[in-house]
Amino acid sequence: MKSSVILRGIFAILGLLGILFILLPILHIFFSSSLKAIKETLKEKELWKAIWVSISAAGISVIIAFILGIPVGYAIARINFPGKRFLESLTNLPIAIPHVAVGIALLSLLNEKTLLGKFFKTFHISFVDTFYGVVVAMLFVSFSFVISASITGFSAVSKELEMVSRSLGAGPTYTFLRITFPLAFPSILRGGILAFARAISEVGALLILAYYPKTASIFMYERFEEFGLDSATPVTIVVIVCCLIIFFSMLYLSRKFFKGLDA
Amino acid sequence: MLKVEVRKKLGSFLLDVEFEVNIGEYVVILGESGAGKSLTLKIIGGFEQPDQGKVCFKNEDITHLPPEKRKVVYLPQNLGLFPHLSVKENLLYSFKCKRKRINDLLFNRIVKEFKLEEFLERRPYQLSGGEAQRVALARAILATPEVLLLDEPLSSLDFHLKMKLISLLKTVKEEFNLTIVHVTHDPLEAIFLAKKIFIMENGKIIFAGMLKELLSKDVASISSETFKEFKKLVEKFNSLVF
Repeated sequence: MKSSVILRGIFAILGLLGILFILLPILHIFFSSSLKAIKETLKEKELWKAIWVSISAAGISVIIAFILGIPVGYAIARINFPGKRFLESLTNLPIAIPHVAVGIALLSLLNEKTLLGKFFKTFHISFVDTFYGVVVAMLFVSFSFVISASITGFSAVSKELEMVSRSLGAGPTYTFLRITFPLAFPSILRGGILAFARAISEVGALLILAYYPKTASIFMYERFEEFGLDSATPVTIVVIVCCLIIFFSMLYLSRKFFKGLDA
Repeated sequence: MLKVEVRKKLGSFLLDVEFEVNIGEYVVILGESGAGKSLTLKIIGGFEQPDQGKVCFKNEDITHLPPEKRKVVYLPQNLGLFPHLSVKENLLYSFKCKRKRINDLLFNRIVKEFKLEEFLERRPYQLSGGEAQRVALARAILATPEVLLLDEPLSSLDFHLKMKLISLLKTVKEEFNLTIVHVTHDPLEAIFLAKKIFIMENGKIIFAGMLKELLSKDVASISSETFKEFKKLVEKFNSLVF
């Protein structure tokens, strides 16, 4: 009894320290700038443009991640094939590689001198310092979240539900669209939200591949580099507030709409 | 007649069964976990393919028919209610997926008979165990199957609810002239429900027959422990009730 109380106490203290570690820098920055400076920052059109670039590019990259990642997640969760474990590990690569390295790898693959770069050039698509580049870099660094969430989502859907659906007269496609996918979707959506958050916060790959158009992260970085901490702080506060509003709104909505659906 | 004659190897486990079920018959397959009962049901339902042998229904070989083409409805132990659909949507699923016109007459009759009027708009997670059982059974009946496969459907219920459901199953079977194959490890379910009993052990059927045939078996001739236990229970039950 006594040892379990001590253990709980230790866990509570360690847990509290962990949470403080996350909260302290965020809370601290809110008190590190004057209201006047924040008000001035809110008037900066370039900042809002950068926030919009971040949101739109992250949104597009998540949609592409859904289109490409959901089938991969389904295949890994439901189909047995040789090399399945290897493929699963491969999908986690973007998390393991330093993001500056991602930027260099993408630049080396997609610059206009390469075969792929030339191919896209024929469609007037370039990835270096363009919005496409921002999307590609964001997609690369956030893709794994959607795949992992899809694997979790599809694995959590009971195969018995699919069997019941089939025995009630539904074909495999109807069963997938009406049972499997809707039940896996809350998990996939949560992965999408994390992917979105990851994409928005990307800097490393963007610095190399697509510095322009500036995203909110690049804007903050540039402000810090050119004018120092005092000038970067109000910008950072505005960006953090925007990110928190978007992140928690999405989480709230996903929980509200998919209540009771977790398998 | 439903005729099952299949062999399937899964690792070191070998399922090797051969049995027949008459149309309109209630058969209980009794056995311990891992005896091969559920695998047998999955083969009949079309979810698993046998390595050898075939499944015939009304003289038609249905072994390679996909599940949706068989007139066989499978009800798993956890009932398989679709959690994202309301009770009403669950009940109407078989009509919607086959793009069939909803049979209002049958729907209203089933809803009334299974006392589901007040639950129609609820989600499965808002139902009690007994209510969920009734919804699952009603949904299976609305799919108008000829064969109903029940995989331990009563195992999670308390005695009181179990007896209620047993009574409902008997009524439903008679009313809709269903052929039912019911898998369980609970001898009581077998005693209360089955006309014919199959006892399974290690992938094989070691006894197939009526309850009374079981009583006439000499215990000394039985090597299976499951079988012995079951026979003793039936005898005890028989002496208490009759």
